[in-house]
Amino acid sequence: MASLTIKNAVKRYGNVEVLKGVDIDLEDGEFLVLLGASGCGKSTLLNMIAGLESVTEGEIMIGDRVINDVHPKDRDIAMVFQSYALYPNMSVGKNISFGLEMRGVPKKERDQAVQEVAKMLQMDHLLDRKPSQLSGGQRQRVAMGRALVRRPEVFLFDEPLSNLDAKLRLEMRTEIKRLHKRLNATMVYVTHDQIEALTLADRIAILKDGEVQQLGTPAEIYDRPVNMFVAGLVGSPPMNFIEATVVRTDSGYAAEVMVRAAGADQTVLLDLDAQAADVSDRVGRKIIVGLRPEAITQAGQKAGGDAQSFPSDIDVTEATGADTLCVLHWNGKEVMARVSSGYAQIIEGTMDFAVDMSRASLFDPETEKRLD
Amino acid sequence: MSDHTYSPAQGQSVLWMRLLLWALLILFAIWFLLPAYVVVGTSLKDLEEIRGGSLLALPHELNFSAWKHAWNEACIGVRCTGLEPYFWNSVFMALPAVFISTLLGALTGYALTKFQFRGANMIFALILFGCFVPFQVVILPMAQTLGRLGITNTVYGLILVHSVYGLAFTTLFFRNYYVTIPDELVRAATIDGAGFFTIFRRIILPLSPPIIVVSVIWQFTQIWNDFLFGASFTTGGAQPITVAMNNLVNTTTGVKQYNVDMAAALITAAPTLFVYIVAGRYFVRGLTAGSVKG
Repeated sequence: MASLTIKNAVKRYGNVEVLKGVDIDLEDGEFLVLLGASGCGKSTLLNMIAGLESVTEGEIMIGDRVINDVHPKDRDIAMVFQSYALYPNMSVGKNISFGLEMRGVPKKERDQAVQEVAKMLQMDHLLDRKPSQLSGGQRQRVAMGRALVRRPEVFLFDEPLSNLDAKLRLEMRTEIKRLHKRLNATMVYVTHDQIEALTLADRIAILKDGEVQQLGTPAEIYDRPVNMFVAGLVGSPPMNFIEATVVRTDSGYAAEVMVRAAGADQTVLLDLDAQAADVSDRVGRKIIVGLRPEAITQAGQKAGGDAQSFPSDIDVTEATGADTLCVLHWNGKEVMARVSSGYAQIIEGTMDFAVDMSRASLFDPETEKRLD
Repeated sequence: MSDHTYSPAQGQSVLWMRLLLWALLILFAIWFLLPAYVVVGTSLKDLEEIRGGSLLALPHELNFSAWKHAWNEACIGVRCTGLEPYFWNSVFMALPAVFISTLLGALTGYALTKFQFRGANMIFALILFGCFVPFQVVILPMAQTLGRLGITNTVYGLILVHSVYGLAFTTLFFRNYYVTIPDELVRAATIDGAGFFTIFRRIILPLSPPIIVVSVIWQFTQIWNDFLFGASFTTGGAQPITVAMNNLVNTTTGVKQYNVDMAAALITAAPTLFVYIVAGRYFVRGLTAGSVKG
């Protein structure tokens, strides 16, 4: 097992800069998820680690070995592709052992290794089948088996679950997590699905336009996004961005918001005292208050010291089972609140909501960066 | 399906339409098969019968003497060897040329699609251009080339000519087929440690039979049926069967032996017919074969 170091990695195609200097340090056994929309450079970065794309500038190291110019097969990596890329003409067993065969491993050892992996992934009975005779989930397993059998230093996953249906995706997600725990291997996983990222990662790197926006644990990314892009990308439904004016209060500062309640706009002061950010020089100016839906909930439920409550009109409710999402109108814009399902079923119209401002994120409206 | 039912009157008219359709189809089938029937029929008659009877009359008996004569007795120019040696000339020309052009086309198509390099599409466009170069254009430079290489008037010369000329077509076939094979297969194999030729042999070629059939049929028909290159670059004993057949028909001593001419034409056409009958359905399958599903 080994660490993975990416130092100032740049990728250019002609004049187009796809990656603009990426720095990531991965410790041995860490699970990194590269998250971003399509075209952000995440797959390019993965292919550079794999050796399928050249590195224009910078260094990529596995352990303390620079691998920029090392052939993919000598990098001690394995990759699982989105389309699985199983060799259609070979049986499952051959698919798994192909890499070993190419490395000159004797047949006996190969067979043994295949058996071991097949047992681990519960597909011993599939070894003689052709990929075309397998279901999507089974193909996915074979693709994983092919990566596992060589016991590489670093595993690379390129959106491996995006071709599966929702139920299988959940199963395989758990399976990948379990494998990571069991093998304790270094893994890099590319996805555009923020839930996959949050559930799987030890750390997430969020990319946009070839730049890392934020690199941190799922909790850091979720609770303390560095800018509005990250805040909007992670979390479902996404964070509410509320434009508010900073005002002075007796105890400190607050953000002034117009809340529609009982059919009329009411001024509400959202207390900013729990915030680390210094807003003293912003009095009278606008800031963006970022509130996740679960930070706005029914009054009385989370009557912590930080929560403040006030009435607000409910426009629409959307039941999701465990919770109900309520659409409110603040500053003339829609704001999502997450309420325990029992409440919203009873109450339509106006209801008291509690806002936990200690969980709010403040952003500068111009730079869109977090204020701390 | 609609559950519309026909009234008896409508049923009648539908039946008549059907009959008319069948009649037309049969008529055209006869129309197009007639020449083939005349050729086969005439080849089985003797000269007496040809002169005495109608062109369309069935032969009195199955008389293969004209076939035998065309195969190894008929005079081609001054050499009365029949078509046999020329038949083998064509075989020894066509088989290697088909094999070489198909293999090179596969390799080129593979390199152009799966190992994309700068200018790959440009090179493909240039190769494609070769499909539009008429035979006549290359005759002179090709004659010079063969002369320099010292393989004029040999089967090897024709093998070279047909391999080179066929490359444009086979590259087109394989390139367009390989474009549909996902690149991730090659990437996966690269990471697994396979090199250029190993990937070709172990992954790409096993996926290629449909397009190989297309390429083989196309090339075989082209090369076997070629007359111009054969007539231009060979004389006498090194000629392919198409040229020999032409000469056989043109070599007349006394009476015109129509039955021998017809038999010679059928012998010449037999191998391509055979290839189409055996591999024809794979041909269509190969042409329509789209993506390879993992």
